[in-house]
Amino acid sequence: MKLHRKSVLRFFRGYRTQAPDREGILLKKGARNTSYQRRWFILRGNLLFYLEHQADHTPLGLILLENCQVEPRLGATEPYAFTIRTPGGEGGRAYRLAAENPEELRAWLWALAGATWTRLAELLRPLEAQYRELCQAAGQEPGSPPEDCGSLAIPRTLFSFQELHEHFGKEIRMLQAVHRQFQEASDNGGSRSPTGGGEAGTQQLC
Amino acid sequence: MRYNDKELQALSRQPAEMAAELGMRGPKKGSVVKRRLVKLVVNFLFYFRTDEAEPIGALLLEHCRVIHEEPNSFSISFLEDPERKYHFECCSEEQCQQWMAALRQASYEFMRRSLIFYRNEIQKMTGKDPLEQYGISEEARFQLSGLKA
Repeated sequence: MKLHRKSVLRFFRGYRTQAPDREGILLKKGARNTSYQRRWFILRGNLLFYLEHQADHTPLGLILLENCQVEPRLGATEPYAFTIRTPGGEGGRAYRLAAENPEELRAWLWALAGATWTRLAELLRPLEAQYRELCQAAGQEPGSPPEDCGSLAIPRTLFSFQELHEHFGKEIRMLQAVHRQFQEASDNGGSRSPTGGGEAGTQQLC
Repeated sequence: MRYNDKELQALSRQPAEMAAELGMRGPKKGSVVKRRLVKLVVNFLFYFRTDEAEPIGALLLEHCRVIHEEPNSFSISFLEDPERKYHFECCSEEQCQQWMAALRQASYEFMRRSLIFYRNEIQKMTGKDPLEQYGISEEARFQLSGLKA
């Protein structure tokens, strides 16, 4: 089957404007080679990409996350190991991955479990219904979500001071956390580069 | 970029949002219209030869533009490459409109923007965060900042 790569690569690159949902280092067991390789993983929507290096322009590979089973793997040779089991009958794969620490494991399991299109649709439906009901009750014309990222102009009224305060407060806390990681890395003689961080927002630094 | 063909095939067998036989023409110059079974599953558009069980191709429907073309037709192009169009001929204007609406709403990014929009609007109208009950209000991907270009 021909997967039109350009459509996927564009999504992957995110037009340089959108942070991925999650990214960071994960260990990945090769299909044939049974040792774990360090890869940079990027979760965008229902697609999980992996790269040889964080700065690579093209991913090494892609994992489709619909109808997958994501579960921790106890008793594996690597600690913090988990498996992504993809459908496809006998052709489906079990991707054997491992996080570098328990926080990363927990965060990735959570992110991957919630990443499917199906789940997003399940969340969206009741919200849309609730919005329309509220508009009807208020005698208000329902609005529409913005069309596409490129032409967005958010009215100032959308951001209350509280939201801005919380948003930037989070950024500051994340920056502090990453700063601490850099400090630790340099204290340890720079033997390990810091991971992508606990939250998706950290790549705004790069 | 590696991917598992079987994963894509499995996806193509899932229940489709929309499925129909349409006339399809690729973006290359001199392409001719061919009858294809076109199937919309999550944010992927699969197309099959009408008598085959496995798709010949798949398109990821993110950051794409769906445009009405005369008559009874629509095209899909991707934002950075507006000249490369995948053309689809429907049997009626009604079918064409149905497909266009479905394709526009199929994008993960569109759904995420919609969710953020509805969440924010509901919060303004009721003072309550509708995502609170799912325990996901703090997830970065559902924050207002996701709407910024």
